[in-house]
This record gives sequence, structure tokens and C-alpha cells, in this order.
Amino acid sequence: MLKKIALAAGLFSATALASNAVQADVKVGLLGGISGPIAAMAPPMLDSAKLAIQQVNEQGGILGGQKLEAVVGDSACNPQNGVDSATKLVNIEQVAGLIGPHCSGSVLAVANSVTVPAGITLITPSGTSPEITGLEDKGQVFRTVPSDDFQGRSLARTLLNLGTKKVAVAYLNNDYGSGLANAFKVEFEANGGEIAGYSAHEEGKASYRSNLAELSRGGADTLVIFDYGDGTGLTILRQALENGFFTNFVGGDGMKSDAIIRELGAENLTTFIASSPVGEKSNSLELFNEAYKSVGGNPDAIFVSNSYDAAFLMALALEKAGGEAAKVSEAMAAVSNGQGEAVLPGEWKKAVELIAAGKDIDYKGASGDLNFDNAGDVPGSYGLFKVEGDAFALQQALN
Amino acid sequence: MELIGLLNYAVFMAIFIGIYSLLALGLNIQWGFSGLFNAGIAGFFAVGAYSSALLTAPESAVHLGGYQLPVVVGWIGAMIAAGAIAWPIGKVCLRFRSDYLAIATIGVAEIIRLVVKSEGWMTGGARGVNKIPRPFGDLSYLYSQLAYLALVFAIVLVVYWAIERQISAPWGRMMRGIRDNEDAATAMGKDIKARRLEAFIFGAAVMGLGGALFAHFNRSITPEAIDPMIATFLIWIMLILGGSGNNRGALLGVAVVWIIWSASEFVTDQLPTEYAIKAKYMRVFIIGLLLQLVLRFRPEGILPEPQGTAGSPEVKTFQKQESAAK
Repeated sequence: MLKKIALAAGLFSATALASNAVQADVKVGLLGGISGPIAAMAPPMLDSAKLAIQQVNEQGGILGGQKLEAVVGDSACNPQNGVDSATKLVNIEQVAGLIGPHCSGSVLAVANSVTVPAGITLITPSGTSPEITGLEDKGQVFRTVPSDDFQGRSLARTLLNLGTKKVAVAYLNNDYGSGLANAFKVEFEANGGEIAGYSAHEEGKASYRSNLAELSRGGADTLVIFDYGDGTGLTILRQALENGFFTNFVGGDGMKSDAIIRELGAENLTTFIASSPVGEKSNSLELFNEAYKSVGGNPDAIFVSNSYDAAFLMALALEKAGGEAAKVSEAMAAVSNGQGEAVLPGEWKKAVELIAAGKDIDYKGASGDLNFDNAGDVPGSYGLFKVEGDAFALQQALN
Repeated sequence: MELIGLLNYAVFMAIFIGIYSLLALGLNIQWGFSGLFNAGIAGFFAVGAYSSALLTAPESAVHLGGYQLPVVVGWIGAMIAAGAIAWPIGKVCLRFRSDYLAIATIGVAEIIRLVVKSEGWMTGGARGVNKIPRPFGDLSYLYSQLAYLALVFAIVLVVYWAIERQISAPWGRMMRGIRDNEDAATAMGKDIKARRLEAFIFGAAVMGLGGALFAHFNRSITPEAIDPMIATFLIWIMLILGGSGNNRGALLGVAVVWIIWSASEFVTDQLPTEYAIKAKYMRVFIIGLLLQLVLRFRPEGILPEPQGTAGSPEVKTFQKQESAAK
């Protein structure tokens, strides 16, 4: 009994502490996979989102000088913790908007059971599952990363245009790999291509020669790899080259990794091309890179620019909506739809003035122009890269 | 903080406690009453969640199904599917003694997770199953949560009642007999293999139902949910802390552990912001520490299994008869 009393007391003091946090600020939730499978990726992503919030506060704050505050939650990259943490952020912390969660499964669960019913807008920097597009979300779910569909489909069309009609596909068995591979396969076959081998592989094995041998049995001389170039993808590419299973190699954006050139040597990679997002012509990315470096971050870390954009867009949308949670989703769609005066990363003061003057603004993000479509998705702009010298060089844009 | 927000959070916690209660009650049948060390709860949770999802979800290009059956059918289907998967597993694995059974069931859960991830034609692979109907999902936030809570609460009550009844019946006493002294039970002519298989299937079916309730609550299920940390080991902690062999202990353990797990985030959030990321790991540490403390100072759990037979109905009747005879 004593234990129960002690526990109840602990709980009450915990909630009391939580309610004592500063009241006047505008709060946004920052929900990331801090513990769990993406624990290494999450901290830089959260740091870049915090950079956006820091810039907002340095340049006069939000909604007439209030301080924007980020409350960090841990989704652990699974729906159970994601929903739990989101419920706390939305109900106890009373956040005005949610940035995250990072993993697709958490995004789906959180949107379905917390944010959409509560009328809170959610923007994820790294949920790439095509299922997020089809959510019945009343327009309240956005993302700053293209769906896996975009890249897979455009890569399929480009390969066909280049005259490659028959390929084998090897993909990593997670949502990234299978999402890309599936979109690629559907589009490739729909446009008359032939998939001569299609198989998933698990991470971290020493040898993939049996997988490769089976894939090459279909008779294709081109292997498409959807994997990470500093992980399993490197092993697969190396073993395929060593044993001569295939002659041409195509990778997704995960394969455009310097580790591949370093480990395998540029002279062995003349038949290797990889698709990857192309930086926009604007200097948004450089602005972000500089700002992020100045706070000690590494701008090349994965998804950090997407995460920064998500946080900055959330701040813009809150400002435009006048802080009303119900209007944030509408405002979010309006601040980045390709119309209005351009706002670049870090230009918070300018954006506030434009919004106050009643003008339309168009945020040009560090990770791309980010013009939202009706489903809250952003189109990706991708290019095909080949190895030239000791680096990747753009060969052509994907269509 | 608004009162309605607090209420929403409390209702949400109660729903999760209900869902986890089913998993803990299922484990209690297997471990608490029958001594079967099942470390593959996540696997049966997944089978239940996916079966119910596929039976009730609308048609989709990425996975099997499109049957759109009523939710109740999905839930019954989840129990049948989880039980049906448990049958061959039990047939093979239950011959192992406790530690080996634990290793085998971890393996089985991992196999189920990989099948779910790899057999995309059936489960949607990494994309999972979406647009699963949620009962009362069209109501407003608070009311839909309250309605779902009522549903979960009713189901837990029925399952609790069924297990209590089964455990105080001769079957339950026999199971405890087998658990405590296998040789004696064999000598008395009990078919140990068959009885253990029954307990294993019964427990797995209850776990499957828990999985189904989880999938419908979130309207989606993805392989990320089959995380052994959150779907196996957390439940073990709940059961051991609450008191295995006692259903009320299991329920109490679930409530205590989930409330600590969830609410400890508020406490760790009070740390300075530069520790914000490290602080999240404190929660995992707290749970581990709690388990260590309980195992050290109160290994039987908060509410231990009632000892002796003084409370059982036969003894009472027997005592009555005796006193009447006097």
C-alpha cells in the first residue's frame, strides 16, 4: 500500500512540475526516435530543428514577441511510444503543432489516434512511407521529405528512357528499401520494362553471394540496389563486382555515399550510377549549411535539412495562423505553395513582416522548394549521378 | 494545462493499460499458472494485430484482404489465428524445459516479425496495414477515446473473469500441479504435454486479442510495432512486478509499470535542455532499476500468488462438511 501511495505522490508531483513550466510561450512538440533503431540519426535531426526555433527567438520571437519553445518527446521509432509521447505533448504540454515523429509507422499511428482527432497539425521530416499520402487527415499531415514513390517511379522511367529494359532489383528489407523497390517495380513494369529478379535482403550479413547468384539467374545485366552505401549496400556492390554477376549498377539515394568510392575505387565504378535529390538553384541549402555549422552541427547528416525545414515551416504556419491550432494546417499549405515572395532559411524577421503586411510568402527550404500538394506531400527533384574523379557528378535530371 | 487535456491523457493511458493487461493476462496463463517461459509475446501480439487488421481493412493494392468484416469478427479471428499459430509452435517447443523454451520462443517471435516484414503480398511489408476501422472512431477526440476505453475495459473484464474461472476450476489446479511438480503430476496420470499445449494456446489467443485492440486503436499496424522491447520484455516486467500467478497482480503490474513508463517522461523533462536527449534514456533505466529492486526485495511481486489451498472452494466445502459433522 505504501508503495502505491508513494507512486501516486510521485505522479502528482510529476504532473505538477510539468504544469509549472513557463506558460506564456508558444509550444511546439518535437517528436523523434531518440531511443530505438534510429538513435544515431535522431539527435542531429533534433538539433537542426532546434536551430530553426533558436533563429525564430533570436529574430524577435513568434506572434508578437513570444518565445517559441520546443518540447522534446521520444517516439523510439515504434507506434506504442510514439502515440504515448504524442498524447502527452498534445494534451499535457498543449503544443500548437507537432514536428515529427521520425519513423513512418509512428507517423501513421500518431496521426490516426492523436493529432487528427485533436485537430493538431503534424509535419514529419523523415516519414517516407507512401501510406502517409493516403491518410484521412483532413489536410493536417505534412512532410518535408518526398514519399518513396517519387524517387522509385522517376528512376524507373529514366532507366527505361536510357534504354535499360531488363533489370534485377536487390533491396534492403526495411521501409526505405522496400518502399523504393516497390514503387520502382510497379512503374518499371507498367512502362514495358522487365524485372528479371526481385529480392529483399537482411542487414549486416557477411555474404550476399547466394542472393546475387539467384538474382543474376534471370539474365539481366543491370542490378538496381536500394540500400545504404555505407552499410549492406557496399557489401552487395562489392561482391557483385568481384564475382561479375552483373555489369551495370544503379542505386537509390542511399547508395550515393562517398564510402563506396573510398572502398571500391572510382576506377571500378564506371558502370555505377545513383539517383539522389538535386539541390535547388537557390542558395537555401548554403544558408542552412552555414547556420548549422556555426552551431556545431554536421550539415551532411541524413535528414537534417528536412528536419530544419519542418521546424521552420511550423513556425511560419503558426505565425500566419495567429497561433490558432485549427488554422495551422491551412496556413502550412499557404506558406509554401510556390506563390508569393520567397523566404529563405533563417529569414524569420522578413517573413514576419511580410505576414504582418498581409502578403503571401513562399518558403524555399534547405531540402528543396517544398511546394505542398493536396495530400501535404512534397515532390522531390532527383538527378542521376555517376562517379567522376573521386566524387559523384550529376549526369542528368530524372523526370 | 487544461483539465480536458489531462482527462484525454488519462483516458489514453487507461486504454493502453487495458491493451497491455490482455498481454499480461495471456502471459500469466502461460508463465504464472503453467510455468511456460514465453519470451515471444511480440509474435502473438503481431499475429493478432495483423489478422484482425486484414479481416476488417478495406481493399488495398499492397496487402491481402479487403474483406471489410465487422470488427467483432476481426477480434475473434485474431484470437483464433494467434491460437492456431501457437499450436504448431507449442507442439514443437513445449518439450523444452524452461530456459530452452524461452530461447525457442524468442526465435519464433523473430521469425514472425521477419515473415510480416518480408511477405509483403500478405501484410503490406514495411508499409503495413492502414485504414483499419476503429469502433466509435467518428466521434470527437475525447468521446471516441472514452468509447474505446469502455470497449477495452469490457473485454478485459470478460477475459479476466474467464481466466479466473478457468484457474479456480480443476483445470487450473492441475496446471499449477504440473508447474510445481511435474513428476507428481505425471504419476497421477496427467497428460502433461497436452495440458501445457492448452495453456500455451489459451494464453496466445488472449495476447492476439490484445494485438487486435492495439491495431484498431491506431487504425494502422506496421512491423515497427513488433518491437521486443515494448511488446515482450515490458510485459514480463509488468507481470513479475505485479505478481505472477495472480491475475489481479498482473493488472496492477501493468498499471504501475505503464504509468511509470509514460509519466516518467515528465520528470526527466525537468532536466536542463542540454540533457533532453539523454534524459529519454533515463526512463529505460528507471524500468530496469525497478525490476532489479523488485526481484531483490520482493521476488513474488506486489500481489503474490495466494499460497495454500485455504481459499479454494473444495476446501471450504470440505471444512463446512467437517464442522457440520461435528
